[in-house]
Order: sequence, then C-alpha cells, then structure tokens
Amino acid sequence: MLHGYGGHILRVDFSSGRILREKTDPSYMLEVIGGRGLNSRRLFDELKRDIDPLSEENMLLIGVGPLTGSLLSTSAYITISGKSPLTGILGDSAAGGFLGPEIKMAGYDQLIFTGKSESLSYVYICDDHVEIRDAVHLKGKDIFQTTAILRKELNDNSIQIAAIGPAGENLVRFATVACNNSRVCGRTGMGCLFGSKNLKAVVVKGTGMVSLSNPLKFMDICKIIDKRIVEHPEFQDRHDLGSTLLMKALNGLGILPVNHFQKGIAPYVDEISGQTLAKNYKVKNKGCFNCNINCSRYYVTKEVESEGPEYETLCSFSSRLGSRDLEFALKMGQYLNRMGLDSLSAGETIGWAMECVEKGIFDKNDFDGLDFTWGNTDTVEKILDKIIHLEGVGADFAKGTRFLADKMGRGSQKYALHVKGLDIICGDPRGIKAFGLTYAIASRGGDHLRAEPFFELTNRFEEAEKRFGTRDAADRLSNNGKAALVEYSERQSLLTDCLTMCKNVGLSMDVLNFELAADLLTSGTGLNFTEDVVNKALRGTITKDRLMNIDFGINSEDDTLPHRFTHEPLLEGASKNQVVPIDDMVKDYYKIKGWDENGVPEKQ
Amino acid sequence: MLVIDLNKCSGCRRCETHCSFYHSGKTGHMGARIKVEKIEILGIDYPIVCHQCKEHYCTKCPQNAISITQNGSIEVSPTICDLCGACEKLCPIGAIEIYNEIPYVCDLCGGSPRCVEACEMGAISYDPAIRQSVSLDWFKKKTKKIPPSVKRYEYAKQGSVKLRENWLKDRSK
Repeated sequence: MLHGYGGHILRVDFSSGRILREKTDPSYMLEVIGGRGLNSRRLFDELKRDIDPLSEENMLLIGVGPLTGSLLSTSAYITISGKSPLTGILGDSAAGGFLGPEIKMAGYDQLIFTGKSESLSYVYICDDHVEIRDAVHLKGKDIFQTTAILRKELNDNSIQIAAIGPAGENLVRFATVACNNSRVCGRTGMGCLFGSKNLKAVVVKGTGMVSLSNPLKFMDICKIIDKRIVEHPEFQDRHDLGSTLLMKALNGLGILPVNHFQKGIAPYVDEISGQTLAKNYKVKNKGCFNCNINCSRYYVTKEVESEGPEYETLCSFSSRLGSRDLEFALKMGQYLNRMGLDSLSAGETIGWAMECVEKGIFDKNDFDGLDFTWGNTDTVEKILDKIIHLEGVGADFAKGTRFLADKMGRGSQKYALHVKGLDIICGDPRGIKAFGLTYAIASRGGDHLRAEPFFELTNRFEEAEKRFGTRDAADRLSNNGKAALVEYSERQSLLTDCLTMCKNVGLSMDVLNFELAADLLTSGTGLNFTEDVVNKALRGTITKDRLMNIDFGINSEDDTLPHRFTHEPLLEGASKNQVVPIDDMVKDYYKIKGWDENGVPEKQ
Repeated sequence: MLVIDLNKCSGCRRCETHCSFYHSGKTGHMGARIKVEKIEILGIDYPIVCHQCKEHYCTKCPQNAISITQNGSIEVSPTICDLCGACEKLCPIGAIEIYNEIPYVCDLCGGSPRCVEACEMGAISYDPAIRQSVSLDWFKKKTKKIPPSVKRYEYAKQGSVKLRENWLKDRSK
C-alpha cells in the first residue's frame, strides 16, 4: 500500500466535462517526489509548448506532496503550476494555509485542469465525488465574499477553497489565487490562468486520513525537526514578526527597496516596520496547517482587518513606492487579497511609473491624468482599481511591467525591474549577491524563492567552507562561492516545495537536509527514497524545468538582472558602492550545473 | 478539563494533528477529538473539545454506553455502543462526532493531553481540578437537528463575540 500519498490524480477537462480519477504511480513519484516536482514533470511530459497561455490547451495543475497534511510541521503547502500568462514561461506559485492537507485528505496528489468552461464555474470535490458546478452568481465577487458565499450555501464552514477575485476573472496577467482568504499563490499569474478557464474556485472537502508507512520512525524524525525549529536562533523573531522583520533587517543591510530601488535605506523605516505593525495593529498570531512558528498575524486598523501581510506586500506598498504610511500598506494588503492581485507585480508597475515620471520620461497625460509622484497613495488606489477593471491605462498595466514599458517606450524599459517578465521581489540584490544570481537564473523569473540562499546572511563561515569550499559563500557582498550556494539552495528549495513544506523552515532556517528528507520520505511513504534517489529527482526536475524554458524561448541572455543592479552602485548604507557582477556569476553557475556556455543542459 | 485561551489560538490545527496521530498513527481533521473551527472573515480560531459540561448531555445515551471516567472525561464503551448517533445529537457543541464507526470524543489522552504539548501558542492548558464548571444550557436550545460541524461553527461564532469586541475597541488608537 502506498502511504503518505493521496493515491490518486484527478483530471478535469472543462471543455468536454470529462472527469477522470487515476491511480498515482509509485515509480513516477520516485522520480518527482510530489508538489512542485510533480507539477513540473507533468508540464514537461504533457504540455504543448507553443500555445498561448490563455488558450484552452494550457494546463492548470494543483499539486501536493507525499507528506502534506502529515505530522511533519508546516506540511501545509500547495503548488499551482502552468504556462504563465505573465511571463510566457514556466509559471508556478505556492501557498500555505489549509487547502493542501484537505486535498490530501480527499485522496489526491494532483488536480489537473484543462480546457475551458463555457461559463463561470467552480469545481466541487468531496473525496471521490467530483462535480463542475455553475458559479455565475459569484461573478465579480471578491475572494472574501466568494469564500463566505460558498461556505454558506454548502452549509459547511470546514471546506477549503482556492478562489480568484475580479482581477482573475478579468484576466489581469498577475492575478492571484487565494486559499483561506489570505494565503495567496501570488506570482506568475495563476489567478489569470483560473480566469482563462472560467474557473472561479476549487472547493475541497476531504474526510480521509494521511497514513504513514512507519509512523513511529516518522514521529521521531518530526521530533528532531521540531526541536531544530523551536531552538533555532531566529525562532522568537520569526514567531513575533514573521517575514515583516525584514523591513528593519534589510534596511540595516542597506538593501530595502526605497523609491523603486533608487535607495537602499529608508530613514522613516520605524514608521513602517514589522515591529510597529505588531505593536499598533496586531491582535494575535496566525498559522498555517500544523505550524509551530505561527509567523502570520491578524491585524485590525481603523479601516480594515485581515490576516497578513507578508513582508513583500508591506514593502511593495510602502518604501518601494516612497510611502511611509503603514495603515495604507495594510489596507492595500487586504484589498489586493480580496481582489486577487499580486502585490509584487502590481507594486512594480506603479513604482516604474513613479520613477518614469520623476525622470521626466512621462507625465500625467500619459497616465489618464493620474499623478504618479512618490508616495501618492490616492494615485495608487486609483490605478489599482483601473488595473483590476482594465480601465484606460490600467489595461496596459494589467499586462505587467515588461509589456507596459515595451509599449510606452521612450527608454522606460531600463527602469522596468523584471527578469524574464517576472517583477523583482523586495530585496535589492546589490547587497546580497547570491540572491542576485537566484533572480537571474530562477526558472520562473525574477524571484528569490527558487533558491532563497538565506545562508549568505547567517555568518556561518565554517559551515560555508565545509559545504561550498569557501568561507566567502557566507559573505553576502562576495560573489565567490555563490554559484555553489545557489545550486545547493535550489535543490533544497525544490525539496521543500516537493514535500510541500514551508520554505521559511525548510530553507531559510536550514532545518532540512537531503539525508533527513530521505528518511522522512521513506518512513512516510514506504517507497525506497534514498538520499541519492532524492537528489536525482531534484536535479532531474531542475534540468527539465530548464529544458522546458528553452522550449519557451529562454536563452542565456535572459539569465541576467536589470541594468540598475549591475551598473548603478548603491549610494549609501551598509551595501554602499555595490553592484552585482552577474555575468561572471551566471557563468560559474552554468559550470557547476554542467550546462554549456549558452546555459543548455547536456542531452541525457 | 481542557481550558482554551482564544486570545492565543493561531488556528494552525496542530492540536488536531497531534491528537489524531496519537490515537491512530494517522492525521486528519475527522480523526481528531479536538477540532479547530476557523472563521477566517472574522479572524476567529476556536478549538472545540469536550467541556465536560455541567449538564453531561451525552450521558443520556439510550444504550448507556457513555460513562464518566475518573479524570472527568467521557468514555464510550465500544461493545455497548450501537452507533445510534444520539450522543452526536445530544452534544450541543459538536464535541462528539462519529467517524469510521467510532464516536470520537476527547479522552484526555489518559491524563497527558497531546494537544497541550503540541500547541506552541500556549492556547490549551489542562486543569484536572476543573470539572463540570461550564454550562451549555444557554446554547443547547439552538442546536436541535444541526450536524456537529455546524454546531461547532455556531458555537465558535457566538463564543468569540467578546474577543472581537476587545479587538475592535482599540482600533481607533
């Protein structure tokens, strides 16, 4: 018997209405593990490459891992994958919350959606009972409303729901999918993919249990991991502040995005910090499934209340846009979650516009009369509304910064901060070189979560020497040893996505290594996951992701960073005078991967 | 009884996972004897577990399969129980639910409840001295003919009104 896994793959084709339930193949799982690895492989095997991402032929996958919903702490995640409507390459995005475990309890490892529904629909899954149901009455409803209405009409508050908001329905290219209202698959426009299939929501109820092959051994390993988490030096800060601790931390390192990355420190950081948020607005901690950190928070302001926000949203709608208004950032966090819009990509389009206006490239008349001066919160609210409803210039914004800058021209492309069409996250790579390399080579574009080489910020010089052959790997300003660090972290990141664990724990806090993961997987599933099998699966997935992206038109010229990070040194703060020597770093990385100088893996 | 501090509960369901694992080696919401009711739109997370209520409604079991143990928890005799479902209907808050032909109810893990140990938030504590101190009389009337999951939802909603008042009281600061 196959333990750990849900045991089934569900295929729903909206065009024909066909619903199929297949058995999970154990030998396939040994090659991919689960979660993101399973999704990536499915796309590699079954997705036609030269399709429009919004066409019926695109696939929409929701994957969970072999240990999702188990005793393993933070085993909460799902990964949604498909060809990205924003970037045109591999797209995927993960979220925690409670949907992943529910999918597992319903008996599935992966949900595969293809085709397009004639009218707005939702999919109802209760164990082996699956239906495509009408969702026309949910049209235009935001994510909070959608979740509440579905729970009410199904008379069950315990069902789990992944839903899109108006932005997803209107095919905004960076629309999100949200689970539990505020646990969001934000990046690469998976909400747009939902919208393109006329899929408003996926509703899941699972009444099963997750079984384990060797429960006692599994429990013992979980206890080791729990101990590592609660005794970790960052545990208390992460518990108190979660990712919002980064506002002050990155400011201290001189790499907090301020005025669209023109500066790396904000003198007003105390007004918008995670500490201030916790002191003035937080009412309690929130946590994803089976978490022992509980890094999230519930907040109440004069105007709004919600769970959240994570650092990226907080920074995107404060210092990145030159605003020092914390309540505004909190309000926007809740608004974007409701409407279903990625805060990073939305924030980048606005930051780009503000910088272009400052530089005199465009003025009010180019933006429907909106005044894009730094920190103009009124403009931010207005443009977001236009983006969501595709009104006026908002329709161009809704296609992402790369499209917007290409269309508006006049050299504004130089200030569009993206890699491969995906907008850069809120961490200035000039002071964290391994992150710079990660943004450049990440298979979904300008994002840190493909490797999150947090190791370079931890001052573990001896461990760096041991693992990567040089103490420099733990020096954030050095580019030495970073290719090896990124290659390692990339596997570790994929591993957490495959298990589906939280990356803060598996990766940033470094509690998971490959040996321990192999033991977890073996005692959990009963399959023979040795350390070699695990690493082979991870390496194979990364190579196949690359080959798929090459099919999508990616080449070595795309493995780079925006001009600002490679040529404009930071002027002040703890990362003063730094730029990223990206070309050398990418070459090192190719060499370590065994790829040729064009970044092409050898044919196996 | 198990005492819940709503101010602290983050809604992570770690208590459920560890409860279910301790009793069966498996994990799942349905296999847990403590179930967290999450009302996301209100920010409420409410772990629902047997209160050892004053009324002991469940002991009106028509088969007399339910008794009270030394530590105050509810015990269902597996040989006498005929799965009639009366206990599920009698419990006002949905703390007993039949799953896989077993009425699931908190047994305090024989005196060292795993949920207390698992909760990193310190939201659950166990005080053996507190017994039958909570009356559910005020809530009982509203729970006729509704399934356990809906009872838990209603109880969580009504039981958290004060907590929300406290939150909102300070919102203008």
